[in-house]
Amino acid sequence: MRLRSFLVVVTLVVIAVVLQTTLFSQTSLFIPDLMMLLVIVLAMTRTRSELVLGLAFLSGLTLDLLGSSVLGLRAIVFTVVGFVAIRTRDRAEIGRIVTGVWAAALTFGGVVLLLIVGTLFGQTVLLGEGATSKVVLVPLANLILAFAFAPFLVRLIDRDSTAFRYT
Amino acid sequence: MLNREPGSRTLPTFITLLVIGVLLMTFDVRSDGAGLTGTLRTGAQSIVAPLQKAAAFVVNPVVDLIDSLSNVATLREQNIALQERLAEAEAALIAQQDELALLELYEQLFEIEATGTAIGRTVAQVIGRPGILDQALIIDKGSEDGIAVGQPVIDTNGYVVGSVQHVTAGTAQVIPITAGPDAIAVTVDDHLGTVVPQLNSSEMRLEVQLADAPILAGARVVTSSQSVRFPAGLPVGEVILDAAPVAGLGVVTSVQPFVDLGRLRLVRVLAWPPDPVAAIAQPEPEVDTTTTTVAPDSTTTTGGDG
Repeated sequence: MRLRSFLVVVTLVVIAVVLQTTLFSQTSLFIPDLMMLLVIVLAMTRTRSELVLGLAFLSGLTLDLLGSSVLGLRAIVFTVVGFVAIRTRDRAEIGRIVTGVWAAALTFGGVVLLLIVGTLFGQTVLLGEGATSKVVLVPLANLILAFAFAPFLVRLIDRDSTAFRYT
Repeated sequence: MLNREPGSRTLPTFITLLVIGVLLMTFDVRSDGAGLTGTLRTGAQSIVAPLQKAAAFVVNPVVDLIDSLSNVATLREQNIALQERLAEAEAALIAQQDELALLELYEQLFEIEATGTAIGRTVAQVIGRPGILDQALIIDKGSEDGIAVGQPVIDTNGYVVGSVQHVTAGTAQVIPITAGPDAIAVTVDDHLGTVVPQLNSSEMRLEVQLADAPILAGARVVTSSQSVRFPAGLPVGEVILDAAPVAGLGVVTSVQPFVDLGRLRLVRVLAWPPDPVAAIAQPEPEVDTTTTTVAPDSTTTTGGDG
C-alpha cells in the first residue's frame, strides 16, 4: 500500500468513526456499521491481505477504545470479518447488487459474532434495547451503502479508475 | 477481476491477531478497565472528542430537523400536551415556592441552619454513542467541568438516566440503567427492592424481597436511601404489571423506565455524593441530606464536594 492510499484509508477511518459515533448513533432505522463496511471494502482492494487484517484489527481496536465494552471485542470481530471477506471477495465482483448482498451477509455475520462474543464476556452494555432488530437493520444499511459507494471507495483507495466497473 | 498479491501469510496473521485480541480482552476484564487499558481509552477518547463535538454541532440540528419533519403530524397534539404540562409545572413551582417560603420562616423561627451540602449539577449535551450496539451515551462535558466516574446522571425531567463510567478532559461516557450490569436499590410503595436491566429490552425487572402486599401496575419506582449510587427519591420508572408476593421470592415484576434514551439530548450530571470521603466511610447516605438541598434551577456545577 502506497503512502497516499494509506492516508486515504486513515482519513476514511476517522470519518467513519466520527459519523458512526455522532450521526448514525441517533438514527433509528438507517443504522450502518461504517467501520465494518470499511473493512469489507478494504478486502476488495489490492491491499495485501495481511495489511487488510491488520487494519481491520486496528479499526476494531479504535472502536473498542472509544466504546464502553471490553477492549479487543470489536478488534476480534472485525478481524474475522476481514478474513472471511478476503476468502470470499472474488464472488463479490460479479455486479453491484452482489457486492451489496455480499457486504450485507458479512455484516450480518459480524453483528451476530459481536453479540455472541459480547455475551460470552458478559458485555450487557451491548445487549440492551433493540439488539435483535439491529441484527437485521445494520446489514440492510450496509447493503445500501455498499451498493452505492463500495466500487467508488475501491477506486479511491487503489487509485484505479477502471476497478469495479462491472463490464 | 482485480489482480491481487497472493496472501500466503494470511492465515498465520489472522490467528496471531485473534490471539492478541483474546489476550487483550482477558487483560481488560481482569484489570476491570483500569491501568494501561484505562489510560489507552482516555487517550483515544481525548483525541476523537474534539472531532465528535464538531460533528455533533453540525449533525444534531439536522437530526432534530429530520425528527421534526417525520413527526409533523403529531406536532400539534404534542404542543397541546406540552402546554398542559407547562401549566401543571408552573402551578407546582408556585406551590413549591410557597412551601420554601414557609420552610425559611420555620428555619428562622427555630434557628435551624441548612447542612450546606447542595448537590452540584452539570448540564451536558448528548453528542452520540460509541457504536451500533453500544448503549453508552457520550456527553460533551468531562473532568474539566467537574465530571467524575460514578456520578449519577438524570435527564431534564429529573428521571434517572444512568451513571458516568469513563471520563476524559472534555467528554464522558454514561452507562444507562437499562444497560448497566448493576442493580439499583429502589423504593416502591414503601418497600425496598432492586431493579435490574434485562437483555434486549427497555424494561427492567423489579425484585422486592420483603413485600407483604401486591404491587400494582402504575406504582412509581424511585431510588432508595439504601442506594450507594444514586441520591434517594429520584424517579426511575413505573410498574407495568401487577404482581403478588410469592413465598420465599417476594414480588417480581416489570418496570418501564421513565427516561427515553432514544430522544435524550440533554442530561444533568449530579455531583453526588456531596462528600465522597464521608460516603466511603458511611456507605448508606441519609435521605434528608440529598432531598432537601437540591438546587432546582442550576445550569452548571454550582457546588458539592464530589
